[in-house]
Order: sequence, then structure tokens, then C-alpha cells
Amino acid sequence: MLFSLIGKQMKMLLRNKQPLIILLVMPVVLITILSTALASVMNSEEEAAIQAKFVLIDESSWEQEEASIKRFLEEEGVSGPALEALLQVFKGNDPIHILEESIFGSEDISKYISKENRQFAELDILRKDKEIDGILLIPADFRFNYIKSAYFDEQETPDMDLFLSQENGIRASIIQSVLDEWQTGFTKSLALTKVGISADEVMLNGQAVERIEQSLQGSERKIPASIYYTVGMLVMFALYIPTFLAGFALQEVQWKVYDRILLAGVPATLYAFSIFITGMIIALMQQVIILLYGKFVLGIDWIGLEGMALIALSYSLFIGGLSALLTTLQLRTKSEGVANIFSGLVVSIFAFLGGSFFNIGDVSSLLANIGSFTPNGATMSAILAIQKGQLLEVIWFYMFTLYGWFVICILLSIVLFPKRGVTS
Amino acid sequence: MLQAIDLHKKFKTKEAVRKVNMQLEAGESVGLLGPNGAGKSTTISMLSSLIMPTNGEVLWNNVSVNKNPEALRKALGVVPQEIALYPELSAKENLHFFGRIYGLKGQLLVERTEEILQKIGLTDRKNDIVKTFSGGMKRRLNIGAALLHNPSILIMDEPTVGIDPQSRAYILDTVKQLVEEGMTLLYTSHYMEEVELLCDKIYIMDQGEIIAYGTKETLKSLVSDNQTIELKAHILSQKFEEALKKYFPTANIRKEDEILLITMPQNEEPLATIFAIAAKNAVTITSAIVKVPSLEDVFLHLTGRALRD
Repeated sequence: MLFSLIGKQMKMLLRNKQPLIILLVMPVVLITILSTALASVMNSEEEAAIQAKFVLIDESSWEQEEASIKRFLEEEGVSGPALEALLQVFKGNDPIHILEESIFGSEDISKYISKENRQFAELDILRKDKEIDGILLIPADFRFNYIKSAYFDEQETPDMDLFLSQENGIRASIIQSVLDEWQTGFTKSLALTKVGISADEVMLNGQAVERIEQSLQGSERKIPASIYYTVGMLVMFALYIPTFLAGFALQEVQWKVYDRILLAGVPATLYAFSIFITGMIIALMQQVIILLYGKFVLGIDWIGLEGMALIALSYSLFIGGLSALLTTLQLRTKSEGVANIFSGLVVSIFAFLGGSFFNIGDVSSLLANIGSFTPNGATMSAILAIQKGQLLEVIWFYMFTLYGWFVICILLSIVLFPKRGVTS
Repeated sequence: MLQAIDLHKKFKTKEAVRKVNMQLEAGESVGLLGPNGAGKSTTISMLSSLIMPTNGEVLWNNVSVNKNPEALRKALGVVPQEIALYPELSAKENLHFFGRIYGLKGQLLVERTEEILQKIGLTDRKNDIVKTFSGGMKRRLNIGAALLHNPSILIMDEPTVGIDPQSRAYILDTVKQLVEEGMTLLYTSHYMEEVELLCDKIYIMDQGEIIAYGTKETLKSLVSDNQTIELKAHILSQKFEEALKKYFPTANIRKEDEILLITMPQNEEPLATIFAIAAKNAVTITSAIVKVPSLEDVFLHLTGRALRD
């Protein structure tokens, strides 16, 4: 019985031109137009955004620690010209110097990261500064302890403190990747310098640049206009599905077909459930078609398919719930008013707040925050996070927002759905 | 047996139905006659368990339909006044859908669908989309959809509204055949001739109330037991009129606009005698109409208004 109801609703939808045009043709046309027209604007914005601000606080210095190092070398039995020659080797292989000059000083790296030297006293203020993406704190006696550890195996490699900002994951990850490369480099260099190879050659800035590019590609890729608008239109146009299904349900009441369904012994709850399932199936089909259009026509490489499947299913679940709720409200009010208000006003407001037309965060962070609580906004944020290459756990906040909406829709439908006949 | 006991329905401030009592015995064909807005459709909705009465009760085989609608629903077919079909689906798809929700499946569903298509004369058009059908074809399919599950009682609400005479005749023939096959029928219409043709017992409804009920004859006798014969002739001579008065002394014979009107009890069959008297008096009769009271006259008599006002 359930399958008959679902099959009939699917046929009604597929044999009507208007729903097909609104649910499939319009989003495809808008995606194509918007992603082509706004491609240059969006892509240049993304390029400009990728420059991380890095602060180095160096509490260690040769001037302060040279005496301690000399004393240590003498205790180790090194003196005279040999001691001086050894000091020169240490200075030449100083990892902090290499970091500052060879890595951050290079033109290739400075394109991605700007470096600034500051004092320890400013650390607290600097950590609160949202403009700063990473702070590396080199503790006092770092060079002395490094020499003892690296050349005389006397203690473990001394620690440094790295503070990464949570404000912009992509810029923080650039700094992280460069510092990782640097740390790996000077560890490797120890072994190599012992056989006469300069540390400079080991820690080439080219490797750091490569890491940045890997980092950009691997963790947070740029979101081009094609992806942005495919997702934006996908979440927006799925919201029209419930209005069509609710419209069909009202027609069924007006035509007295609904009476026939009830007289056949179909419980009203089963009828409502069939609308929920139909809404879900159509939403899923619509999303798959639009995503495939993006892949094969616009050449989008959708990544994180597990996450995408989870989001698409969750959004379909919500659309099913919303279909049941709008149908319930239409049958209760016996008019198309509810669906008309929803499709004419609510969808537009949700699409605006959710960022379907442009990134609302560029206009107002308050509106962006409100938008992230709309079902379409939450879904869009989740899909874009996955497309940036972020981890699955990032989307849970958005998914719980969506599930919240779903639960509200279902509960209201259960409470309000007319259980007996509906007189037209 | 389907019974309505003191049915009452109020929508907000409007009383649609007041104190309706009805009874349908198995195999009986009952008409519910009344003008538009009389409360026929609301009564049908209550009888078929679609809406709850504000007061009163509907019983199906002495079981309350309000409390247990399932038993009636299984045995009931309803043909609503509206075309209760999916216009985007074909005739066959519509019938398959309604059959499936009544629990028919597989070969049984296929066979019943074909049987019904044949009964309503749409076998040739079974794969066509309903919205391409004429009004009459839609009405026929509307009836077919109510017959799929082989109901024992059929409620039809104005099934011939807005269709051509040919389709109307086809539908009336189909319904007559169903009645002859033993189907219990409740037929509502404001076309009294349809109700007269199909129904043994008639309820007349007006302004939410049953104002009269009984057999056709009982109801007509409320108006008069007489018949009136209207005669037209080339020359209606005084001699002929006097001869008639002599032969039918109890009849009321009068002349109006060159038409001779003869009113007499319905149990008499005077035409052969009238023609014989005319021949004897060299009068050539050009037209003779026998008029008996119609249900229209009954309604007019009871309410002072015509059925289609």
C-alpha cells in the first residue's frame, strides 16, 4: 500500500512540467549562469585570502648563550682553535637562523606567509589578535640545549611552543606545514652534517613551498564559483519539493481522491508517511542529478564522498519531514496559502540567509550566524566544509541543526495531521 | 443494512443536515432527491464514514460506523460528485492504484481492472491519460474506480452532472444493470427522472431535512391520483366534447388554447375509447399526451419551489 502511494506521488510529480522545471531545469540554469558569471570574482578573492601571518618570539640568542656553549665545550675537552672552528659550524647550522633567513626570508614562502619578530612580553596580546595565524615561541637557552642534544647526545631535543589560531584553518595549516618541514629538516640535518653536508641544503625552502601547496590541496582547497553555486542552488531548490507535494495533497482533497484513499482503509498516518518518504526520495534524486551535472558538465571534482552521502541523506530526511509538515498544514487550512507563503517568502529568506546567492558572512557575521541555523544554510556549510577537505567531525554541528529541524517537522506533522476525513 | 439515525451535522454556524433518518436494505435501490445545497453530499459523507455527524448515528449491519468504520468501508463503493481521479495517470493506472489500495494485487488486480474497463466501456482507451478524456468518459471511469473491489453497496453522488446525453444514457444503463445484479444503491441527484428510473424508494431532501420518503407511487399520490390527457385535433367540435363528457361523466373536461384537457383518475385507461369517439365524430386527433404527476410536481407541492431553482 505504501509503495502504491509513493509510486502514484512520483508519477504525479514526473508527469507535471512545472515541478520538473523548477526542481531540475531552474537550478541547472542558475548554476551555469552564476558559476560562469562570478567565477573570476570568487576565484580572485580566494587567492588574496591565502597569506598567513606568522610571529616569531625568540628568547634564545648566540650572544646570551655563547659563553655557556664555550664552557660546555671546554668541559667536553675542546679548546683553542678547534673550539672556535666548532662554534662557527654550530652558528652556520643554527636552525632558527635557517628558519628566519632561508625559509621565511625566501620570496616563495613570503608569498604565503608574512613573518614578524616580537617580544615575549607581548605574547598574551598577540595570542588574542585574530589577525595572527601562528606564533612560535623559542625558549631561552634553546641553542645551547640544541647543541648539547644534537652534537653530544646529552639531552632530548629542546621544546618550542607553537600557537596556531583557530580563526582560519587554511592559514594556520600553511604555517604548521612549513614548521613541520623545518623540524623534520633540522632533525635530518644532524645526521647529514656529521658526514659533512650543510643543513641549508637539507632544509631547502623549495620543500617548504611544496608542503604549503600540498597543504592547500590536501586539507582546504579553494571553493570555486562552480562548487559554491552548485551547492547553493542544490540546497535552495530542494526546498521547493515540499510545496509541490503539499500542493498535490490538497488537490487530492479537492478532487475527493483523498476520500477514496481513506475509504479504502488507508490510515491517514500512512498517507502522511508516504509523503515523507516521497519527499525524501525526490530530494535525494534531485541532489544526485545536480551533483552529477556539476561533475560531468562543470568538471567539479567532488571529494569526501562519504561525507557528501551523509549530508545528502540527512538533507533528504529533512525535506521529507518538511513535505509531511507542509502537507499537514495545507490539509488543516484547506488552502494553498501555507505552501504559497513558504515557496514565495520563506524559501527566499532561507536562501538569502543560508548563502545560496553569495557568502552572507561577507555582509554581516550576525546574519551568517543566523543563516547557519537554517536547514539549507547548515547543509551548505557542511557540504562546503567537506569540499574544502575538512574532516567529517567539522560537519556535526551543521548536521545536528538539520536533525533538529527534522524532529520539529515530524513532531508537528504527527500532532497536527487530520486523522479522519478532510472536507473541502 | 445501512441505517442513519437522527443524523445532524453543523459546520461552524451553519446547520447542513438536521435529523436525517434513512434506511437501505440489502439489494434495495434508494434515491436521495433534492436541489443543490439540500445537504445530500453531507449526508452521503456521514453515511460513508468520511465525516463524523455532530449528532446521531450511522449503523452498518447494526454496528456503529462512527466507532468502527472499517467494516462498512470494505463493503462500500463511493462515486463522488467530483471526478476523483488522477488526470495525469492513464485509466488503467488509475484503476490499478485504487485496486492496490483496496488490497488487490497480481492477476486478480489485472482481471478486475479489465472487467471494470469493459463494464464502463473504456477498454480501448485504457492506456490514455485521463485528462484527455471527455466529461462522460471521466464520469464512467469515476464509477469504475468505485467498483473495483466489488462492493456490496454503492453510493453515487450526482454521477451524471455535466455530461452529454449519450454518456448519461450509458451511465444510467450501467447503474441499472448493477441494480439488477443485486447491488444495494443509494443514488443522489437533482435529476428526478434518473431517480425515478433507478430507484424503488425515494427520500426527498430540502434545506438539510428529509421532507418526504416512500415509493414513487406513494410520493406522487401526495400531489394527486389523477391523470390529465391533452388532446390536439384539426377541429375540436362541440359534439366531440359532449360525447366525451357523456362517456366519462366523472372526468373534468375543459378547453384551453385549442387544447382539450381531460382529467380523470389514474386507474382508468381512456385512450382507445377517446380515439374511437373521435373517429365516430369525424375528429382527427393530431396529438394525445397523458400526464401523471412527476417527482418534480411532488417537490413543488412540498416546498413551493422547483427542484432546479
